[in-house]
Amino acid sequence: MNRTKIYGVTAVLSLLLTGCAAGPGGSIYVPAAPPPDYNRSSSGAVSPAPESAPASVRPMTPPAEPERSSAPSYQDQGESLSGAAASLVRKADSLLAQGNVPAAIGQLERAQRIAPRSAAVYFKLSEAYVAAGNLAAAEQFTLKGLSLAGNDSGLQRAGWLLLADIRRARGNVAGADQAEARAGNL
Amino acid sequence: MKKRSTASKKSRKSSRPPVARRRWSWFWGLLGRACLVGVVVLAGWLVYLDAVVTSRFEGRRFEVPSRVYARPLELYDGASISTGGLARELALAGYRKGDGRTPGTYQQSANRFVISTRGFTFSDGAEPRRRLSLTVSGDRVRGFRVLSGEDSPIVRLEPAQIGGIYPAHKEDRILIQSGDLPPFFEEALLAVEDRDFYEHFGVSPLSIARAMWVNLQAGRVVQGGSTLTQQLVKNFYLSREQTLVRKGNEALMSLLLEWHYDKNDIFETYLNEVYLGQAGVRSIHGFGLGSQFYFGQSLAELELHQVALLVGLVKGPSYYDPRRHPERALQRRNLVLRVLADNGHIDEASARQYQARPLGVTGSPSFSENRYPAFIDLVRRHLARDYKEEDLQSEGLRIFTSLNPSIQYAAEFSVRQTLDRLDASGDRQLESAMVVSSRDSGEVVALVGGRDPRFAGFNRALDARRPIGSLIKPFVYLAALQRPDKYTLITPVHDKSFALVFDDGRRWEPKNYDGEERGDVPLHQALSRSYNLPTVRVGLDVGIESVVDMLHDLGVADPISEYPSMLLGAVSMTPVTVAQAYQGLATAGFNTPLRTIRQVTDAEGQPLSRYNLAVEQVLDPAATHLVQYVMQETMQEGTGRSVYRRVSQELSLAGKTGTTDDGRDSWFAGFSGDWLAVTWVGRDDNGATSLSGATGALPVWSDFMASVPQHGFSPVVPDGVQYHWVNPHTAALSGQYCDNARLVPFIAGSEPTVTDRCGGGLQRRLRGWFEELF
Repeated sequence: MNRTKIYGVTAVLSLLLTGCAAGPGGSIYVPAAPPPDYNRSSSGAVSPAPESAPASVRPMTPPAEPERSSAPSYQDQGESLSGAAASLVRKADSLLAQGNVPAAIGQLERAQRIAPRSAAVYFKLSEAYVAAGNLAAAEQFTLKGLSLAGNDSGLQRAGWLLLADIRRARGNVAGADQAEARAGNL
Repeated sequence: MKKRSTASKKSRKSSRPPVARRRWSWFWGLLGRACLVGVVVLAGWLVYLDAVVTSRFEGRRFEVPSRVYARPLELYDGASISTGGLARELALAGYRKGDGRTPGTYQQSANRFVISTRGFTFSDGAEPRRRLSLTVSGDRVRGFRVLSGEDSPIVRLEPAQIGGIYPAHKEDRILIQSGDLPPFFEEALLAVEDRDFYEHFGVSPLSIARAMWVNLQAGRVVQGGSTLTQQLVKNFYLSREQTLVRKGNEALMSLLLEWHYDKNDIFETYLNEVYLGQAGVRSIHGFGLGSQFYFGQSLAELELHQVALLVGLVKGPSYYDPRRHPERALQRRNLVLRVLADNGHIDEASARQYQARPLGVTGSPSFSENRYPAFIDLVRRHLARDYKEEDLQSEGLRIFTSLNPSIQYAAEFSVRQTLDRLDASGDRQLESAMVVSSRDSGEVVALVGGRDPRFAGFNRALDARRPIGSLIKPFVYLAALQRPDKYTLITPVHDKSFALVFDDGRRWEPKNYDGEERGDVPLHQALSRSYNLPTVRVGLDVGIESVVDMLHDLGVADPISEYPSMLLGAVSMTPVTVAQAYQGLATAGFNTPLRTIRQVTDAEGQPLSRYNLAVEQVLDPAATHLVQYVMQETMQEGTGRSVYRRVSQELSLAGKTGTTDDGRDSWFAGFSGDWLAVTWVGRDDNGATSLSGATGALPVWSDFMASVPQHGFSPVVPDGVQYHWVNPHTAALSGQYCDNARLVPFIAGSEPTVTDRCGGGLQRRLRGWFEELF
């Protein structure tokens, strides 16, 4: 019965995921730096050929954004799922619907590798582990997702409710109430 | 007959038989008995041979080594890769430059790629054959499109084989069935090696006669007289010596084999047994592997001229080795094509056309056994937890690992390049090790066991246990910051010497690396500048056992002694163990066990074991965030700041240096948004060096981080953490434009309550106001 309820929450979550599949943000992507002065041998150069990657040939300028570099970086929100990662999540969804949980987890781990800073992908993994009957893993993946939800109150709320249900199903009533209260405060 | 018997009776009866006759009778008797014994021995021998033939053939016929694969490359819009990296990955996965239409080929013009994949069946779904088009710009995949085949926004290439686990005799093979043969393969093989295969009983006197005749006519050996069955028996059961007894055994066993088994069974076994070459100690058996070894293609994909070469090689894989003796190989191949035409299997025109083709052999075997010895070593240790060595050597398992060839390449290059520069004196005393893992999944993506990455000897990444020095400090401060009532990032800590006197009278007086003392310093500075004295004070205050417990929670399995000196890193770990412990620091406090294997399947691709991503929250996420802040500060203003001489300022990084007495160990551990890397530099004899963490291990780390396209580190602020502008020197809230103002994270409620009224900041406030306006 508890599991049915968890599925209810994850269905809400799925709606949220589609909502956040496009959005700005994320850690800055930095192409490989050009080889240093001490000159690499041409045979083993790691960086791409100059003509092929303009981003790698611009000179190593002194700090372009000094204010960025002088302070430790942080962000208020995790990252959204890219199109490729979202397509893997959809594939996992249909595998879950067919009852093929191991293959669904396989696809979700692919999604996790290409979108490791997206809360949604961990909530999905949690859902798959609920289906697999491994509630301990499900709880940890929910926590991991929550660590990336940042100030997105929709994701936060969905995550805390999911956590409350999983904890209740594991018999941790106090923990469940606590999580529910967190969701309620959002 | 009768007469003779009478005579013999007579003779027996006679009292003095003639001497000659007596001798003859003795002789015949002996001969008769000898024949009888001979027949009995032969029968016994036949029974024995029969048992040998059947037991080996009936039982498991081949020990198939397990294959170890790199992670498959995922291609999609936004995927991180350089043009050089993509070309290298394609080569490693056995792709050839070509028309981009034949499966297994790709076409590259500048940064545009058209790739024709072969398809691969993963256990969680098949990747069918596709033609892909993409460009690489700014080290990312752009304009990814599926030109033909099933459409998908993300496609996995076939994984590259990076190693194998072989039986003691080092035979390697890929099992095939007669249905896997390309057109004309069987015709060519039988025409050259055994024309009467389907007619004879194992031995073919006709073949021997014909071979002699053909060879006489040609004036050289063109055909052999041995049947395929005899060749199989020779390889399968017998030694290589050329004696009459062995020849006799070969003939008898061939007859027995044919008597017991049907032709197709024998033919398939031959296809998989035949010896086709040597790669170091690994011997190449069977046409399945032979095709991969010489052409980097599966057997079914081969064209006629390649088929002819492979069949031609049977006669002498070493003599006709197409890589060492291309002219001999070409002659032999063309002879096979000629035989095919003479026997009417192909017409004259195609024979001539294929004879004009180049050999089509790859430059070097598609994978070399010793490419990643350190990584394979770790894979084998992980496998040993669940699999028996003999199963790994014989069951043809497929082991899918997390090795990322591009990252491994950059890691090896950085180690070699930097160490050559560091000991410019040329005495090559310095050694190094490096571990790179994926920050959020704990997958080990690269491992370097020494400065010569091909040397399969001492694996320092796994086996060099060295004191970790200041790498311990983030854990000490983390233990403190988990108590926000007592410690925040701006809490003043005491940088002043002291002595500990133990019960047995020993004294311990820690010192700072530079020998200086600074009085009170804010906690964040004590960590980012790696001061020893405040660290020991804080560690003793929070309790050594809380630091030890934390390390155990983070997956450090070795026992750690609770001496005060452990607070300065007098605890030995291997680079892999350090990476494991740092994994929790790099994420929001989640212990993420390091993994090298994603999955093991049987030879048919059915999953045997999965090693799934696992996470466990073991550290307080808020306190971890504060430590991550300081580890970034370390790179910007602390002991790690030289990193930005090599790395772009845009790439935010977090890390920590570590140095032990007399520079015996130089460590660096840190992470970006994508990768966590640990480097160690030192000497195998534990001798002193002139290096510190910042001058030995950090340059290797920086070089690596600079050469890998990736995301910067920018952690999501966890629940219950707030950033405030403060003046760390007065430990008071401040304004953004005040002197010494710094934006610092606090666990909610632990921020200062007093506010520093900043004077003289008006000018800066105005400037800030204008900056925000424009």
